[in-house]
Amino acid sequence: MRHQANPWITSNLWLLSAAMLPAIILIGALLYFTGWAFTFSFTDLGLTGRKAVEWSWVGFDNYERLFTRRGGFVDSFWTTVTFVFFSAIVGQSLLGFLLASALRQTYGTLRTVVEVAIMLGWLLPDIVAAFLWSATTSQTGLINSLLIVPFGLKPVNFINDFALPVVTIANIWKGTAWSYLLFVAALDSVPREVIEAAKIDGATRFQRMWMVVLPMIRPHIATNMLFITIWTFTYFPLIFAMTGGGPGKATETLAVFLYNQAFGRGNLGFGAAISVAMLIIVGLLSTVYLRMLKEPK
Amino acid sequence: MERTGLSRPMAIALGLMALVWVSPFAWLFGNAFDNASVGRLNWPAEFGIDNFLHAVSGDAGRMFINSLVIAAGTATISTFVGICAAYPLSRLRMPGKNALLWTLVLLRMLPAAGVLVPIYFTAQRAGLLNQLGVMLTLTVLNLPFTLLLLKNFFDTVPIELEEAAYVDGASLWQIVMNIVLPMSKAGIAVVWFFSFTGAWNEFLLPLIFSRVEAGFPMSVGLYAAFGRQGSIDYGFLTAFSIVYAAPAVGVYFLLRRNMNTGFAGVGVKG
Repeated sequence: MRHQANPWITSNLWLLSAAMLPAIILIGALLYFTGWAFTFSFTDLGLTGRKAVEWSWVGFDNYERLFTRRGGFVDSFWTTVTFVFFSAIVGQSLLGFLLASALRQTYGTLRTVVEVAIMLGWLLPDIVAAFLWSATTSQTGLINSLLIVPFGLKPVNFINDFALPVVTIANIWKGTAWSYLLFVAALDSVPREVIEAAKIDGATRFQRMWMVVLPMIRPHIATNMLFITIWTFTYFPLIFAMTGGGPGKATETLAVFLYNQAFGRGNLGFGAAISVAMLIIVGLLSTVYLRMLKEPK
Repeated sequence: MERTGLSRPMAIALGLMALVWVSPFAWLFGNAFDNASVGRLNWPAEFGIDNFLHAVSGDAGRMFINSLVIAAGTATISTFVGICAAYPLSRLRMPGKNALLWTLVLLRMLPAAGVLVPIYFTAQRAGLLNQLGVMLTLTVLNLPFTLLLLKNFFDTVPIELEEAAYVDGASLWQIVMNIVLPMSKAGIAVVWFFSFTGAWNEFLLPLIFSRVEAGFPMSVGLYAAFGRQGSIDYGFLTAFSIVYAAPAVGVYFLLRRNMNTGFAGVGVKG
């Protein structure tokens, strides 16, 4: 607003608009793709074969299928909820917060070591992380070699027997750094004097955290929740590369389900319906978090 | 030497946690430096760097180049398009522009797999099932985030400097090139790096877009190799993984200070 009267801007309006054109076209493409997904969710379009050319409108059939098929969308939805809850909310967010608040008191080597360790997971490409964790949890892998076999037990095939916990842990390992960094920035924004004052007033460590610090960093918590919930909700490569959704459908989260339906089985129309349903869920989640962000109690 | 407010048990616990965190890498390095690797958790039986030599030559080398082209291309296109649009966005008065940007970011939060179907169809029609298609698609998907970040960075450039330059007779071009861009260097580096690593790590799009093995980037190559049943060459794959992971990790630690600044910018501007 304050920039409106700037002559070098106002005399170059055409040039500036022209500069924005490529971005506008690409954003237009994004909107077009979203609209397309919505439209074709009402058709039986296929990836290959006859249905790829001669598709027809099927009304709400695809949406009905979401709720009527056994072992389909609904099961996949609950798998996703479990995965998101344990890996993002409990795992990454809580662990990231605990680490940030513990390491806040120190600036030494220990802090650098811990930071580098968790950053390595975050920076590692998804597929490398998947490969690494498949190997770590395999029958001859690190966990079996160090924790199971030395105690005279039989090696466990973790990725087969405990698929969902394994991918959950792998995702915590991979993603905690983001929450950690965000909470470090959040805790730095709390003035030291406020905490000191609470201390002098006799607040215990727990009270200081619960009643002073947490309310102050509420916007950060909401932002973090918003990002990691949605990311995890739609996260694909790690699970897909580790298990492909299996064994059976044990780790088939919605993103994997969508891929398997649309590109594995070639039901593009049904796939589009799944993505619209995911978009609605993501939209609802965002509204909840944004409300948390905006309205302090 | 430093103000350590940690109790000893706490410090030990944290140290142990860091150790657990990096422990999976033991297997990775143990096998990569073992010329006779069999994929077990062992000290290298035959220490050497043969695996790394394989991981940068022949097919593997070509995948490295493919990844590099896709990542650098995507990062450069999206940063360029982003800068061109973000400066006007930052300086012009437009009602609801922040709301618009956030809506786009949220829209972008929808599962990539969701828009993949229409993207695939469009690319097929346009003959873009190739690296250029991957780059353009990734740019489309990155753009909302890139725009938001760059606009936030341009917002922090003091308008007074631009005013002074204008009074001294500088044109818009000179103002942008000599004041705005140099002052947002850190931000631009962060945006470029984010797009670069995003594209470097990208798996799903190239998986669907690459029709021929010659076009595979490293992510798809690695997936194809370890998904293959039968004889898995662990020595090669571990070395390949390290080569694949190295640029993203390396660049991060080079740009660490910038990163954290940029990060603060992403986090909490609402």
